[in-house]
Amino acid sequence: MSEIKHTAPPLPTDIGAGPAPTTEVTPTGVSARFQGNEGYATLVWRRFRRSTMGMIGLVLVVTLLVVAVFGDFFAPMDPKRTELPFAPPDVIAFEDPAGNFSLLPYVYPIGETGESDPITFQPLTGAEKDNPTPVGMFVKGHTYRLLGLIPTDIHFFGSTDGRTIHLLGTDKFGRDILSRGIVGSQISLTIALVVVAITTVVGSLVGIASGYLGGQFDLWVQRFVEFVLAFPQLPLYLALTSLIPVTAPSNIFIAFVIGVMAVLGWAQLSREVRSKTLSLARIEYVRAAIAVGSSDIRIITRHILPNVLSHVIVAVTLAVPSVVLLESFLGFLGFAVKPPLISWGLMLQDTSTFSVIGSYPWILSPVIFVLITVFAFNALGDGLRDAIDPY
Amino acid sequence: MTNTENLSPDERYDLGAHGRELILDARKIKVDFKVEGGVVNAVRDVSFQLHKGETIALVGESGSGKSVTARTIMRLLTKRATVSKDSRLMLGGRDIYKMPEAEVRKLRGNDVSMIFQEPMSSLNPVYTIGQQLCEVLHLHNRISRAEAMRRAEKLLEEVQIPEPGARLRSYPHQLSGGQRQRVMIAMALANRPDILIADEPTTALDVTVQAQILNLIKDLKAKYGMAVILITHDLTIVKQFSDYVYVMQHGKVQEHNTTEALFANPRHAYTKHLLASEPKGQAKPIEADSPTILQGDKVKVSFTLKRGGAFKPDFFQLVAVDSLSLNLKKHETLGLVGESGSGKTTFGQALIRLIGNQGGQIFFDGQSIHDKNREQMRPLRQRMQIVFQDPFASLNPRMSIRQILEEGLIVNGIGANSRDRVDRVRAALRDSGMPDNILSRFPHEFSGGQRQRIAIARAIALEPEFILLDEPTSALDLSVQSQIIELLRKLQDERGLSYLFISHDLKVVRALCHRVMVMQHGKVVEEGPVEAVLTNPTTDYTRRLVRAAFEIAA
Repeated sequence: MSEIKHTAPPLPTDIGAGPAPTTEVTPTGVSARFQGNEGYATLVWRRFRRSTMGMIGLVLVVTLLVVAVFGDFFAPMDPKRTELPFAPPDVIAFEDPAGNFSLLPYVYPIGETGESDPITFQPLTGAEKDNPTPVGMFVKGHTYRLLGLIPTDIHFFGSTDGRTIHLLGTDKFGRDILSRGIVGSQISLTIALVVVAITTVVGSLVGIASGYLGGQFDLWVQRFVEFVLAFPQLPLYLALTSLIPVTAPSNIFIAFVIGVMAVLGWAQLSREVRSKTLSLARIEYVRAAIAVGSSDIRIITRHILPNVLSHVIVAVTLAVPSVVLLESFLGFLGFAVKPPLISWGLMLQDTSTFSVIGSYPWILSPVIFVLITVFAFNALGDGLRDAIDPY
Repeated sequence: MTNTENLSPDERYDLGAHGRELILDARKIKVDFKVEGGVVNAVRDVSFQLHKGETIALVGESGSGKSVTARTIMRLLTKRATVSKDSRLMLGGRDIYKMPEAEVRKLRGNDVSMIFQEPMSSLNPVYTIGQQLCEVLHLHNRISRAEAMRRAEKLLEEVQIPEPGARLRSYPHQLSGGQRQRVMIAMALANRPDILIADEPTTALDVTVQAQILNLIKDLKAKYGMAVILITHDLTIVKQFSDYVYVMQHGKVQEHNTTEALFANPRHAYTKHLLASEPKGQAKPIEADSPTILQGDKVKVSFTLKRGGAFKPDFFQLVAVDSLSLNLKKHETLGLVGESGSGKTTFGQALIRLIGNQGGQIFFDGQSIHDKNREQMRPLRQRMQIVFQDPFASLNPRMSIRQILEEGLIVNGIGANSRDRVDRVRAALRDSGMPDNILSRFPHEFSGGQRQRIAIARAIALEPEFILLDEPTSALDLSVQSQIIELLRKLQDERGLSYLFISHDLKVVRALCHRVMVMQHGKVVEEGPVEAVLTNPTTDYTRRLVRAAFEIAA
């Protein structure tokens, strides 16, 4: 906090005050008043830190990205290993097998309790209180390649004795939903980030070119943008993705899906960037740059781009959740990712029948992953939006 | 300072003199603002008194706390502000800060009302003038719609708006700036307030309109026996319109006295400094055989505007600059004067080819430049520079001072290497009166006057021969203004620069220019040597401008 104090921003009382009247024109007084040189990043960071939601969003986003990158490490089970289908989630209780309160939670697997329903005589299931799963950190589990390179079998957490552990239950093939969700985040976030990266670059370039060059070019580009925006997007997604041969390998399928989303996604951002560029192109420091003889390229890269960038950064963080949602939606319809790859949308495909949701509600849990992601990126984006223009 | 005497006692010197009744008594007002990393004392122990039917002026430069003081009276401060418990603000025997919020609301607009600086943004664009006036009337009176409308019309008549009946149905955008400020005054007067607070009421208006508005306030004050608190930075206005003056600086009252006494005998150093900061002096005469550097011949600039709808397009030409000629000699300063919208900025920017011209010829140092495109102009850019009006918009906030000043050197290939360029940047900063150790700072760390110096440094770093000065002083405080004028004059003497000085402020023009051209509606109405035009104007328009600048009350 001490850093805040000595780098206080220019106080309102200084604005326009100029040098003190009693002294001669000695603006050296300036250096006494402002300590240090605050770059743009410092200012943004200082303002960003004040926003609680923004900070929560930042922490969540970083956590999500770390978990996604080291997905196999964080997944307690092999996401492809099949066990008992539709097994309910293990019970986590702050209770030791003897029934006393314990601060460390115990994980109890679900098993038959030995009793039956008095009416239907079906065997009842419940937590096996006498047989907790021993849980530990950095345990040995299934083998995988860390970052696709280093073969290892260490996991962040899991059962120490090699028993199964299903904190969110299993799906219809008996695969662990938590592990699939963690590993599935790789595909879901990759799709989102790649799509947003492409739309951002294309959208910014088109927007800046259109806004800065103006004239006929601007006119036709904007008509094209309107054309793209006016397209009924959902049928187009479905039509375009159904063009891919069913036999195509999954990675080609994903590349195509990314391409389709990018083609339809850049237009909105390019509009926003264009309007920002239009106003910047008329601002006086740009005219001053023309007056010193700067070329167009220099004006765009030195004056317009840095000032548009703040808007683009916010747009990026707010675009990621919309693509995550789109992926989960298309995945649910079976148009985004094909097995054996895992994505959140694909996992939600299992929930398409009512009877399944009614009997096994835990298979809805991929929704939680989507929710957290959407919230994290939105909170980060909102925090950034307030902080990004500190002047 | 030699005297330790307190020049700002809590009570004014003429308290209750001539048997006048005290209406507002403010004692030890203290306002703090919470900001990042601390607290700003915006107003520190300010005391003032207001008698019935008189005008007091709060004078000071921006940031001196005068507007905050005024808002304190209305209890209109933001949530970040805290008013000290010891502050007392007695309005007719009651402390405003001990009243419940509901009573204060009754007070606002009824007993005390306020007009703001910016008439463009204080009226709601989606309602008619009539609706907005009636709203004010309805808030404090139980009257019928028809009665409210009738009163509203009468109010507009009082503020001398032509055709008040028709204007009631107009929207704010259909009115000029001066008319909008009149409507604001009508709204403020709607409920016959005892106190009118006028916060820089004319700063955003053209000079000729300024005088009319101030006279209107003066007349209405006499008519209704209101007391007026006038907040301004303009000493000419203070001298003409106020009875008692409070000089504020850094949130404190430095000195107060009756207007006559204060102007005759300023005692505080800051008051003396303020009074001395009127632009003065005049340009040094130039040699008669000085060669021409910039010549414009029948320059015409027009914009094509579209009138009519999509099915009936109707294009028309708006001629902003109508075949104007101009001849600027080396080492000379030519003033280009006119109200906003007269085309002076367009003309200036067309002359250095920042705006394209539709006709006429322009020669720079004998070379024709009217036929050059932007790419062909680039080699010449280094020799002609521009300083803009708004120092907050003319410096890129994302670039450091070094990057801002170095840009022109880099694109023009001046300076052998990075070290040489930095030396030139430092020299330009020193010549502009700035310290040269600010290279890695960013523009937001500087005040308006300092930013304008940086903008001037950017222009002179290229060692140009000609600088277009587009109202470089009008966004600045008076004392900073005179420093900038000094600086410009000094740079001209040292470097033999030629200036085209665009301004609406004839005082500044008189101090800086050799010759002056007066523009109106894209045409030159009068031109000649500064002294001749200003002392003996031949056209009505110039006469109005001159009167507005030198004797507001005209």
